[in-house]
Parts: sequence; C-alpha cells; structure tokens
Amino acid sequence: MIPAFLKRPSANRTLAGVLVAIVVLMSALNPQRFPAIGNLISMSYQLPIIAFLSLGMMVAMVSGGINLAIIATANFTGIVMALVLRAVAGDAAEEAGAGVALLAMGGGLAAALAVGAVMGWLIAYVEVPAILTTLAMMTLLNGVNLVITKGYTLSGFPEFLLGVGNGMLGPVPIPFLILVAVVAGMAVFLRRTRTGLSLYLLGSNPIAAGYSNLHVRAVLVRTYALSSTFAALTAFIMVGQLNSVKANYAESYLLVSVLACFLGGVDPFGGTGTLTGMVLAMVILQVVSTGVNLLRMDPFFIQALWGLIILVLIAAGFLGERLREARRLRTARLAQQAAPASTVGTGP
Amino acid sequence: MRAAEAVGGMLRGLLRHNETWLAILIVVLSAAITIANPAFLTYENVAGFLKSCSMVGIMAVGVLIVLILSGSPDVSFTAIAQVVEYAVAVATLQWGGNIYLALAAAAAMGVLMGLVNGAIVHWFRVPTIIVTIATFNIYFGMLYVITHGKLINLVHPMFHDFGNTLLFSRVSSIGASYGLSLMTLVWLGTVLLGWFILRKTFLGRSVFAIGGNEVAAERLGIAMLRTRLFAFGLVGLLSGVAAVVHLSIVQAVVPNIIVGKELEVIAAVVLGGASVFGGKGTALGAALGVLLFAILNNGLTLLNVSSYWYNVTIGVVITVAITNSAYQALRHRRARVHVKVEP
Repeated sequence: MIPAFLKRPSANRTLAGVLVAIVVLMSALNPQRFPAIGNLISMSYQLPIIAFLSLGMMVAMVSGGINLAIIATANFTGIVMALVLRAVAGDAAEEAGAGVALLAMGGGLAAALAVGAVMGWLIAYVEVPAILTTLAMMTLLNGVNLVITKGYTLSGFPEFLLGVGNGMLGPVPIPFLILVAVVAGMAVFLRRTRTGLSLYLLGSNPIAAGYSNLHVRAVLVRTYALSSTFAALTAFIMVGQLNSVKANYAESYLLVSVLACFLGGVDPFGGTGTLTGMVLAMVILQVVSTGVNLLRMDPFFIQALWGLIILVLIAAGFLGERLREARRLRTARLAQQAAPASTVGTGP
Repeated sequence: MRAAEAVGGMLRGLLRHNETWLAILIVVLSAAITIANPAFLTYENVAGFLKSCSMVGIMAVGVLIVLILSGSPDVSFTAIAQVVEYAVAVATLQWGGNIYLALAAAAAMGVLMGLVNGAIVHWFRVPTIIVTIATFNIYFGMLYVITHGKLINLVHPMFHDFGNTLLFSRVSSIGASYGLSLMTLVWLGTVLLGWFILRKTFLGRSVFAIGGNEVAAERLGIAMLRTRLFAFGLVGLLSGVAAVVHLSIVQAVVPNIIVGKELEVIAAVVLGGASVFGGKGTALGAALGVLLFAILNNGLTLLNVSSYWYNVTIGVVITVAITNSAYQALRHRRARVHVKVEP
C-alpha cells in the first residue's frame, strides 16, 4: 500500500523526500546516537508539543487567519489548571486523584475555549483582522498570566497529569499516542465534517463562501475555538512533562509553529494545506532539532539554521514552480506543433 | 447656521480618521493620569518618556512603510537593530571614530540587511512575514553564535555625549539637568521623513499603489523591484539609526534587549491606523500609536501600578482600539451598502 501522495509528484512527496534525506544525513553524522531506539522514544515525547501548536496554527491559517495567541493560551490553560487544583485540593494537589486532575483539565479546556470564542467573535462579528485580534489577545493573556503567577513558576501537579505527559504504554509514550489519536480525529474532521470542509471554502474565498449559504461567522468562531483547543492539549502535555506552569513557557515556539505550517504547505492567505503535509513538516522539524541537539551544536546556531532552512525551501519551491511552468509550456508548444489542425482557436 | 454645519461636517470628517480617535484617547488618558498624579504633565516627565520611546518610534516609521507596501509585517527589524547595535559598539571601541561615522555605518549595515529581505520577497514572491521570520532567526542566531551572547558594559564615550544632548535644558531641584533629548528630535525627524516619503514622493505613492493592489500596480508600470528594495532598505536604515539611538540611551549592549519588541512596534503602527492588509497608513498615526504606549507605560509607573499589570493594560488598550476602528470601518461599509441605485 503506497499512500496516494507518494504516487505522483507533489509538494508532500518532496517533503517526504526531504524527511528521508534528513534522517539519513543525521544518522550518518551521528551513527551511534541518532538511529537508536532511545532517541526515537525521546523524539516521540517531544513531538506532541510542537505538533499540537502547529495544528492549532494550521486551522487558523487555513481559514485565512492566524493565531498569534496560541502559546499564551496554552500557558493560560496551564495556569488555570493550577488554580483549579489549588482551589479543589489545596496544598495536597500533588496527591490529588485522577478525578481532581480531570476536573483541572476540564477547567483549563473551558478557559482555552472561552479565549478562542472571544477571539472568534471579534474576528467574525466585529470583523477585526485575525492578526490584530490574536496579537491583542496574546498581549492580554501574557499580562494576565504574569499577574496571576507574579512571574513565579507554579509546580506540584498530581500523578495523573504527570502520566499524561510522561507515561508509557508499553514502549510508546502516552503523549505520542494522544497525538496519533488527535491526528486521526483531525483527518476525519477536515475531510468529512461540514465545519472542516467549510474551513477550506472560507479560507479560499470568504465572499464566495458567504454567498454559498455558508454561515461564515459561525465557522470562524468554531475555528478559533478549535485552535485554542489545540493550545489546551499542548498545555496538558506541557504540564505533565515539566510538572510546572509559568507565564512564558515555550514562547519561542510561536514562530516555529508558523514555520511548520509554511513548511507543510499551508497557504498563509488561507484555503489550502493538508494534514499529511503538516505531519511531515512537524516530523522534519523534530528530527532536525533533535539531530543537531545530539551533535551538541550551539542552540543559536540551530536557530540560524531554521532561518536558513526556510530560505532554502522558499528558493526550492520557487524554482520547482518555475521548472514545472516551463515544462508545461514546452509540452503545450510541442503539442501545438505536432497537430496544428486539431488546435483551431488555441493559436497564439 | 451654515458655519455650524460646516464645523459639524468637519468634525464628522475628523472622526473618520483613526488618528483623531487616537489623539482623543491620548488626551483623555493624559488627563486621567495627571489628575491621579500631577507629576505626569511636567516638562521633566514628558521629556523623559519622549526620550525613552524614541527607538521604538524610529523603528515604527520603517515598519509602517513595509506594512503599507506588503500587507504583511516585517518582523526582522529588531534582529537587524540588535546586530547593528552590537557591531557598532564593538567597532567604535576598536577603532574610535565619531558619532556621524557610527550613524552612517549603522545605517549602511541596516540597509544591507534590509535589502536582503526585499530581494527575497521580490524574487521568490513569498509573504514578508515568512521571509522576515527566516532572516530574523539567521541574523539573531548568528549574532549569538559569533558573540556568545557576551554583554558589553563599556561603550565608547561618544554615545554618552550623543544620548545626553539636551535642548532647552533646565536644572531640577536636585541638580540634575533635564530637557528635550536629541533622541526625541531624531524620532520626530524620522516621522517627518516618513510623512514626506509617503505623501510627497513618487516612491511613496508607489508603496501605496503596490499595497493597495499589487497586480494593478504592476500593470500600471510601477517599478516593483525598486519600490520593494527601497521600502525594505528603509526599514533596515531606520533600524540601524534606532540601534545607535538605543545604544546612546542605554550605553551598554545586552544582546537580546531589542529583540522581542517587534510585536509591540507592529501593534503601535497598527493602532495608528495602518491596515494589516496593506495600502493604508500614516506616519502621524504610527507616531501617535508609539506615544500612546509610552504614556501608558509611564502613567502606570507614576500610578505605582505593579509592572505585572503593564501587559494587561496594553492588551486591553489594543483590544479596545482595534475593536473600535474595526467597528467604525464596519459601520462605514454597512452605510455604503444601503445606497439606492437608480435604475
């Protein structure tokens, strides 16, 4: 069984090729430590955080917007969880059972959904541009997070939550299993549900979508609620892995999640972007970051490398497009020369 | 009667401008802060915050022009300023020189880095934000790779002299002199330059044309490459100047102090009425946006509000301001839809 995207030339096939090349390169550079089971497991621990943030960014981008508040929402979710825990269990939060932990997760999710609904409402009904709404929400939430935590790190989460972030089911980390389930859910959502399909219609042409009797505003509100749900998922994993929350964890991931979308072929102006492309892009980013980390490179060099990779991809994409265009023109011209009689009306 | 109508019409016309709303907000805010703490509206305090926001103000003019041009914000300008600041600080310590030379070198470096962005945006046809995220990472990452993030505590004394040049200076009761800083004048000069370019030059009109409708502008025969290189080069130049201004105010280099301010600058520009879709914006608006943030920051300090609340307040103000301007635009559009067309 070969997946459809590998059968003919496509952006995703190129991505798959890039992924294979990077894995081979990293394995060659570091044959002892990169292609090892332990490394595979540690990568599948780290992947979900970047993956959830990227997917949250993706839904906003496909609808033609962007969600700059996604990291702030994730931190806000974590902080609300800590507050709920403290309110319910007091000082005994660490010993709290699964029920209390689930309650905290519910509280966090509700907070994230509220944030998403407010942003969606502003974008859909007041028609504030998404980039501004989410920028404002980011600033506001960063402030709220700082006011609540006073800049301190809140730690001490119950066993159940730590299990969500760190646990293993056999040889597979639980966060990775959650990611797989979520990606499967997203595949169904984007292809088979009304809201999922509307998302693409809306992103490619909001005016046409409105005239096709699509409830554009409702779809937008749901989009940002969904985007915030991904922020909440990130928070669940992050809380579990770090056993703490803070006002400004993971801030550097904001640009990385935009990068993942760009890499995955999501059009920044909306309307296109496949889940396959996103998954490939996320795995590529994770492999590169783990690979260069294992080589003990300067983290700032890695940052510069990110930038360089984007530029190379931009150039490659552009040149690929040019080549395809040239080939198309040549074939068309050849066809015309071969059968001039049959192409009446399509002459120069 | 007619005079009253004319005045009313003028007022309504004024209220359509984002700058008017912003100015009203600034006046109301200043009045409120002054009532709470009379120290706000003193020459010393006003001159103080006008100086401290000059770097952001200078950058905002460049950011505005690129936003109008491409409808997608530049985010690499802080990295450019950071690199330039470090390079200038090191170079002047090594070779000396004077402030004009330092400014020229900083501007040249900035232009070079800006042109890279412009060239990539033009030739590869990619949104500005994507390209500048990439170059941001490259510039900033390489700065740390080369310098290992080392602080520079001692800078050439000429920056001290430049940064502390005062006009209309007075001496306070405790013997410290205060007055309008030269840095503020640099900012005002930049705003004037931005206004002049956008309103009075062909290049400026081309920037609006491309931002308004790229395809139409290209068919009209507007020089796309030249205009893009100009706009991105200008952001670079202003980032370079802003870096020297910052260096002169702070007189030390912390290699990640400017980086991270990009969203604040963009927010100030957008608050000033620039459209995030491009093709719209004014230099005055950008200056007022920066001023509003500076007043908020200063006011909160004077009111003894904990600095934790700063972001919350900024967030609320941005939300209110953008919601208001979006709402005004919405009303405007709705009003237009109801025009009856005669058959």
